[in-house]
Amino acid sequence: MIKRFVTLKNEYLNDLSVGWFLSIRQIKHAGKGTTGLIIFIMILAFLNLVVVSGLLVGLLAGSFAQFRESYSGEVIITAAPGRDYIENSPALISYLEHHPRVTAISPRYGINVQVLGTLNDNPQKNERLNQVGGRLTGIDLEKEEAVTHFSRFLKYGQPLDQNEEGYILIGANLLKKYSSFADANIPGLDLLKDVDVGSRVRITVSRESGVIKKDFIVKGIVKSKVDEISTRIFTTDKEVKRLLSANKEQVQEIAVKTDYALASALVAELKNFMGSYAARIQTTDEAIPSFLRDIETTFSILGNALSSIALVVASITIFIVIFINAITKRKFIGIMKGIGISPRAVQLSYIFQAFFYGAAGSLIGLIITFGLLKPYFNAHPIDFPFSDGILVATPTGAGIRVAILLIITLLAGYLPAKIIVRRNTLDAILGR
Amino acid sequence: MIKAERLIKTYGTGELALTVLKDLTLEIPDGAFVAVIGPSGAGKSTLLYQLSLLDEPTSGEIYIDGKKTSVLNQKEKTALRLNKLGYVFQDYALLPELSALDNVMLPILMQGVSRGEAQKKAEKALARIKLSDKKANRPSELSGGQQQRVAIARAVAHNPHILFADEPTANLDSPNGRLVMETFMDLHNDGQTIIMVTHEEEYAKHAKRIITLKDGEITSDEKR
Repeated sequence: MIKRFVTLKNEYLNDLSVGWFLSIRQIKHAGKGTTGLIIFIMILAFLNLVVVSGLLVGLLAGSFAQFRESYSGEVIITAAPGRDYIENSPALISYLEHHPRVTAISPRYGINVQVLGTLNDNPQKNERLNQVGGRLTGIDLEKEEAVTHFSRFLKYGQPLDQNEEGYILIGANLLKKYSSFADANIPGLDLLKDVDVGSRVRITVSRESGVIKKDFIVKGIVKSKVDEISTRIFTTDKEVKRLLSANKEQVQEIAVKTDYALASALVAELKNFMGSYAARIQTTDEAIPSFLRDIETTFSILGNALSSIALVVASITIFIVIFINAITKRKFIGIMKGIGISPRAVQLSYIFQAFFYGAAGSLIGLIITFGLLKPYFNAHPIDFPFSDGILVATPTGAGIRVAILLIITLLAGYLPAKIIVRRNTLDAILGR
Repeated sequence: MIKAERLIKTYGTGELALTVLKDLTLEIPDGAFVAVIGPSGAGKSTLLYQLSLLDEPTSGEIYIDGKKTSVLNQKEKTALRLNKLGYVFQDYALLPELSALDNVMLPILMQGVSRGEAQKKAEKALARIKLSDKKANRPSELSGGQQQRVAIARAVAHNPHILFADEPTANLDSPNGRLVMETFMDLHNDGQTIIMVTHEEEYAKHAKRIITLKDGEITSDEKR
């Protein structure tokens, strides 16, 4: 039994050695044009596997990244469901400000308001008020800058000043002049007409204690692909506090900047610190709406489906190449078998060749993906209406695709070699 | 020693059946140099293919070193061809991607010999046919005579018991044909068993035994 095993092992090793010997020489002396073309096709197959799905997923990943960088930070704390504010906000803010793993925080006040764009003229009969609903967000400019670099969203006008009173920045998607939806004519979608930098608007806050109205000057227009920026109205935290009748120290949101990898641990720690009902504490990933996750999954499936087609094309290409290569050398394969070279060694030589094509294509594909395309798309994201699309390609994901490509390539190399090698030896030698 | 007993080879079936070898029996001892001659269609090459296990007879038996070959499977036949038989084909049949040295090394490597040892043996075989200076050349860079001598080196480098040659001089001019025959003579003098098919009587005369075939039957078996 052991002797048989050793014999079999030696036979396999010997076949591997001879197969390798043959394949190296066949690759060395193959036509450079043909070799180049096959490798080129394998590169395209690899890029199709990695880049197509990577870009599709990247459209959403870019959106998630922007949501984190522009609004939520790595951890976002909001009022618990059914509550108006985060309980014990000052204590939580103090805790976060002294936390060693927290880089920055931005506490935000938020109240739902009505913004009236036309102050002087009353509407005509059957004409609606030039008014929209929105969320007035009060921020500490310095703290917000530290978390989201808020100043980059200012597209027109001037930035707010922490010590000024009576000024707001308004999201572009609330204004007819700047909104991406202005020409969509969506029923029920109200946009402010004739409001621009320098316009005076009236903000109305409805509280249980009564209605508060205050006029503001639009100091600037902010715009981002993140809705939380483009559909809100921003002013200083001091200004919002003045509009609040009570609980002036309790904020509605806190965006926390920390290490992305530590976000889950921090959330768990904060939940422990705050208790379950004081606030909703989420990582940025948890805060992303589930429908966006569903889109991401769909894109991923779509990408994989497209990649599968590329994989089939690549495998057929390798099959044809190896088949033609083997069939044109049918006579020599017959001669090899005739002089005692084992059919398995001959098959292995073709499998090694197929492996070489697959490995070379994958290697060059990896270099192109990680050395060229990924840095390029990071520097020049795809301008998509709701996100800046990036290329999502991880070493693990790419490694799995390389393995898939190599397995398919090996099979595509093995099958034609097997078909040719098992033909009658004498017929092959005589070309019958 | 190789022995063929009541060998029959028929191609096709029914009315189209063509019997090429007709109940042929022969025995070739170790160290013999045999030439098989005969007119075209006599069955010379067919006999060689049966004896060298490249083809299977319709009936009859072939014994190599006393071993019945009809009971061997393809894998065992391949192993037998590798270890006991050597081949020289009419059109040299060298592998075009391999150098002369690599072509000669291939069967030696297949025997499980290490790369270094196989190279030494192959170089020795090339030196024996005086082609050491061409070892790095690929077949396309060699003349027909040189290619056939490399093919002979490949056929004998792994020390086969029997060397089969199928019209080895057919594609060569006279000087190269003579060189090939001289090589065969050298091998024979060293004790190599050679079975050569040829239609050229001039070269057949080098053999120590000439078997003449006609219509699939032995018409003469002359020892010289």
